[in-house]
Amino acid sequence: MNKALRINSTFECDLLIVGAGGAGLRCAAEVLDKRPQTQIMAITKGAHPQKSHTSTAQGGLAAVDPKDPADKPIYHMFDTWKGSDCAADQNIICKICDAAWEQIVWLENKGMHFSRDTDGKPGKRTFGGHTVNFGESSAYRAVFEADRTGKGIMDTCWGESLKRGITFINQGIATELLFSRNQCVGCIVFKQKQGEFIRILSKATVLATGGSGQIFKVTTNCRQNTGDGLALILQTGLPVMDPEAVQFHPTGIVGPGILASETLRSVGGILRNRDKQAFMEHYAPKMKELAPRDLVSRAIASEIRAGRGIFNPDHNVEHIWIDLRHLPDAVHDKQIPEVTGFFKKYLNLDPKKELCPVHPSNHYHMGGIPTSVYGEVQDISGQSIPGLFAIGECAAASFHGFNRLGTNSLLELITMGKFVGDNILAYLSRVPGKLPEAEGRHSVSQFTGYLDARGKDNIGHIRDAMRMLMTENVGIFRTEEGLTKAVDVLNELKARADKTALSSKSLRMNQELVQHWELDNLLTVSMAVAQGALNRRESRGAHFREDFPERRDAFNYHTLVSMKQFAKVEFSKRDVDMSIFEEGGKHYEKFGIIERRY
Amino acid sequence: MSNENSHSQVYKLTLKIKRYDPEEKRSWVQAYNLEAGRILRFVDLFRQINDEQDPTLAWNSSCEHGQCGTCSVKVNGKPLLACELLVENAVQYFQTRTFTIEPLNVAPAVRDLVVDLAAAYERIDRVQPYIIQPGSPPSEQDAYPIMPQSLDHYVNATRCINCFCCASACISSHNSFLGPNAMLATIVRVMDPREQEKAKRLKILYSEQGVYRCHSSRACSFVCPKEIDVAHFIALAKEGRILNKS
Ligand SMILES: Cc1cc2nc3c(=O)[nH]c(=O)nc-3n(C[C@H](O)[C@H](O)[C@H](O)COP(=O)(O)OP(=O)(O)OC[C@H]3O[C@@H](n4cnc5c(N)ncnc54)[C@H](O)[C@@H]3O)c2cc1C
Ligand code: SF4
Ligand code: SF4
Repeated sequence: MNKALRINSTFECDLLIVGAGGAGLRCAAEVLDKRPQTQIMAITKGAHPQKSHTSTAQGGLAAVDPKDPADKPIYHMFDTWKGSDCAADQNIICKICDAAWEQIVWLENKGMHFSRDTDGKPGKRTFGGHTVNFGESSAYRAVFEADRTGKGIMDTCWGESLKRGITFINQGIATELLFSRNQCVGCIVFKQKQGEFIRILSKATVLATGGSGQIFKVTTNCRQNTGDGLALILQTGLPVMDPEAVQFHPTGIVGPGILASETLRSVGGILRNRDKQAFMEHYAPKMKELAPRDLVSRAIASEIRAGRGIFNPDHNVEHIWIDLRHLPDAVHDKQIPEVTGFFKKYLNLDPKKELCPVHPSNHYHMGGIPTSVYGEVQDISGQSIPGLFAIGECAAASFHGFNRLGTNSLLELITMGKFVGDNILAYLSRVPGKLPEAEGRHSVSQFTGYLDARGKDNIGHIRDAMRMLMTENVGIFRTEEGLTKAVDVLNELKARADKTALSSKSLRMNQELVQHWELDNLLTVSMAVAQGALNRRESRGAHFREDFPERRDAFNYHTLVSMKQFAKVEFSKRDVDMSIFEEGGKHYEKFGIIERRY
Repeated sequence: MSNENSHSQVYKLTLKIKRYDPEEKRSWVQAYNLEAGRILRFVDLFRQINDEQDPTLAWNSSCEHGQCGTCSVKVNGKPLLACELLVENAVQYFQTRTFTIEPLNVAPAVRDLVVDLAAAYERIDRVQPYIIQPGSPPSEQDAYPIMPQSLDHYVNATRCINCFCCASACISSHNSFLGPNAMLATIVRVMDPREQEKAKRLKILYSEQGVYRCHSSRACSFVCPKEIDVAHFIALAKEGRILNKS
């Protein structure tokens, strides 16, 4: 059967985009706009680029309008730095916040259907953590397309790439990066529909594979977010940065973990425990329900741990309630119809009359592939790898540090997409015409291994055990003991996975085969996250160590984790860029090592 | 039903799934019996089949909360999103515990419930789902002003997620009609004041494969999971009432 396993053909292009989400296609659109003859191939794991995770983002994207008399980029920079718990890089904060509005205008001019204010301009709303005058009051900084901002971005970037003649490979998975000496020259792709490997040689390769939420049992992330980009990087021996920096959203809808947005709390929703007691006042007496995501998540998890949660028999999990019953009908019908619609649709309950079950849900990976401010992928010594770039959620420049503010991710996609596009244009004009050859042997032997395995086990069961393990031990609360256990069990699960046989040896659209490969990636990323968390004996942003509950200056650096072989981890460090502070300009003092208090 | 019950009602279901093996070019119907809680989604049932009975059953999904339109299938003949169908609602709506599940008939099946969505999308690509010729904004670095009332006329048409449920339900022939969602994608840009290239769009809209192929059955509006009144927009186009709304 597996005689069919070989690399069937080779393609060449100028630019290869691995991951056709918002970040990848914003980059493609930029390159095609400025250099229309560029040959670009973009791969998506999903059925079509429009099905990428970016399409599901709801809330909005942050950008300071230069015409707004109240808001300034420096305020946005401050909020981002403070939110990051002093672990984002100030050079990238500066670059992104300064360029934000230009990119809103780009999206608008290309046809995104922004919601409008009464003057016909893109409307703006407030969002948690975004303030004017260094925390003084809420900023109207988030532009949006109703509750479908991500869809607007995705449709626009896809449309612009399509218009300019990009080539898509849908339902393809990039399984291996190709190198000629130190230069990245493309990748190996497994085309699921055809069940065959192809080799794509390219002058420049961009990793834009999105998040890794599927390592946790409950997540707001889509099914495709299995951290493939991080696994590909680790496989080559290159590092990932701050893998332990993982954000949990306090209110995922019980069961699937679907995001129930902050808005529910900002319009007055109250969190209650089993005894119907409003508990937030015990954790954040002032801000209560409106405290930052990580604090509210920990409060909910504490209530559940203390036995004050409620068991949900349908989904076999514990949760607390969000109470929306007291809100006037007008609020239900006008301000939160979409989110309460999810409760109706997925739980068959009426939020006007009934309590709604929620629990924290994994949401965003701040950590990722370390890059320069131009998206160049870096090795442990900070040297850029020629020909290799990374953007979007899989990358860490690092704009978010240890805690991302809402609406800052979409902003990162479109700004970094553009910057990296410009950088690639310059790179393409420098590199010689002929591409070096590179073979790529790893993928074929990896897949052959899956097809040859004979053990009686089940990929789905191993994946579920891993996701549960991660949620329980590497989630909201972390301890030396729990993390050590996680590392041990991950090793066991990896050994089990390696032996597990497939039910069918067929190659075409063999979902189990691809899931086996994804499981390897999930285990790899889980291991990096757990090890990073074990190494960081402090608490910072979303990373909370119960045994080391304070932030410590000794950890004012980015973790770099390399892991060429599973579980054989090597650590190194990257400095946090504090250039705004160091340059000593106006307001520089706000950018020192400051307290993160709300 | 109160949401504080300590145990869940369990339903005994039979899923008769249409399967297709591309290597042997063979189709058959396979019945799976399973027990499921009342508020599990049909995507959860597929996963349960994979984990407990048959890892070879292929199906597609992505966001699994009705925002991406990947998991569309036909359940007892009705095109819908499998991630939005809860067990107890399905039992009530279809008045049965046996469900026939087929892939959408908008493109060839790749395997089982997975269809070649990229092939279905070719119809969307043909209507150019972007601004062909943008008008110039009032000044550089400025957004084009669009009054909210003007946007209101077509905003519902912009909500389409290309799940192809409408295309699957449409009674007009797939061979001769580009399909309701392709029409919608064009109509959006005819109504969008930023688009200058109206002539080309109208040509597609009123072509052999355009809106006159529609029989006004409203099946599209009936099945749309986003509750977009697709047929309304198509009717507007037929009546020539989409041009001067800006
Ligand atoms: C429910 C939800 C709501 C959110 N709301 C907001 C918000 O309001 N504001 C905000 O700023 N942020 C929000 N976020 C975060 C934001 O949406 C994401 O961080 C962002 O969309 C990621 O974009 P991306 O382009 O990096 O990746 P994605 O859009 O996830 O795209 C990744 C692409 O890579 C492909 N891919 C993956 N692996 C492979 C592989 N091995 N081979 C080939 N292709 C591959 C995928 O198929 C996909 O096409 C939200 C996130 C969630 C989960
Ligand atoms: S109304 Fe027209 S487009 Fe809609 S389903 Fe009927 S024939 Fe098709
Ligand atoms: S109009 Fe509705 S049914 Fe048709 S593709 Fe769009 S979202 Fe789906």
